[in-house]
Amino acid sequence: MNTHPYLRAYMAGTAVPTMMLLVVLTGFLIARHTFHIPIPIERAIIFPMALVPNIFGAWNMFYLWLRPRPHLPIGLHGAILPFILAPIGFALATCSGFLSATSAGLVWFHEVAIPYGLIALGFSFALIAYYLVWKYLVGFFNEVLGIG
Amino acid sequence: MTEQKKADQEMTEPEMSKPEMNEPEQKKFADLLKQSLPPTNWELDRDLWPKMLQRLDHDARPRKWFAVLFSPAALAAVPWFDWALLAVLIVGVCLSPRSIPVWLYHF
Repeated sequence: MNTHPYLRAYMAGTAVPTMMLLVVLTGFLIARHTFHIPIPIERAIIFPMALVPNIFGAWNMFYLWLRPRPHLPIGLHGAILPFILAPIGFALATCSGFLSATSAGLVWFHEVAIPYGLIALGFSFALIAYYLVWKYLVGFFNEVLGIG
Repeated sequence: MTEQKKADQEMTEPEMSKPEMNEPEQKKFADLLKQSLPPTNWELDRDLWPKMLQRLDHDARPRKWFAVLFSPAALAAVPWFDWALLAVLIVGVCLSPRSIPVWLYHF
């Protein structure tokens, strides 16, 4: 009997960002309507809604494929993902018109300016967040779906 | 007397090599089998149904995944290093709250 392990790996991978999507949308709405940050929600939501969950699922399928071969622990495997997601996110945000690069740094949503010096720090925080999310949340869902 | 009985019960070589047993031999074989097997008590000495109900009840109430994920045992298994990383993350977000939409965008 085919137990479809790759389909289960995809589902386990997409579970966390799909749940987080509610948090993301709520955060965007609060930022826009409470703090008056001009976030174009209909364009900004594309990346976290359409791309991130699918890439998480595909990355978890890749992890399952790597399992019989030499591979990293799941936390470190997940921590590699920002190196792929960040350039895609930056490119999509630039094309969508809510990220611009200035001489002082990156300006998100025409409001949030992040100096270049802080981008490396923010990226290292992203690595930490992805490490923890993959180690504990995606790892947990992998175990629940019998591929842990 | 006992040896005679034993000799009667044992099957001889020609008897064993015969392709088929006749009716007296089958009866003799059945008697020997009955004697060699201990008597079986077909009545149960206890009622198994309450134990079965208890087992069904236990299986029907699995713990919620959320409770498993955040159970004290699961939290106790988290190494201190990961707690430190989580603390760094929280402090970083608190120091720069305006970056929260950017964080949200990248998740």
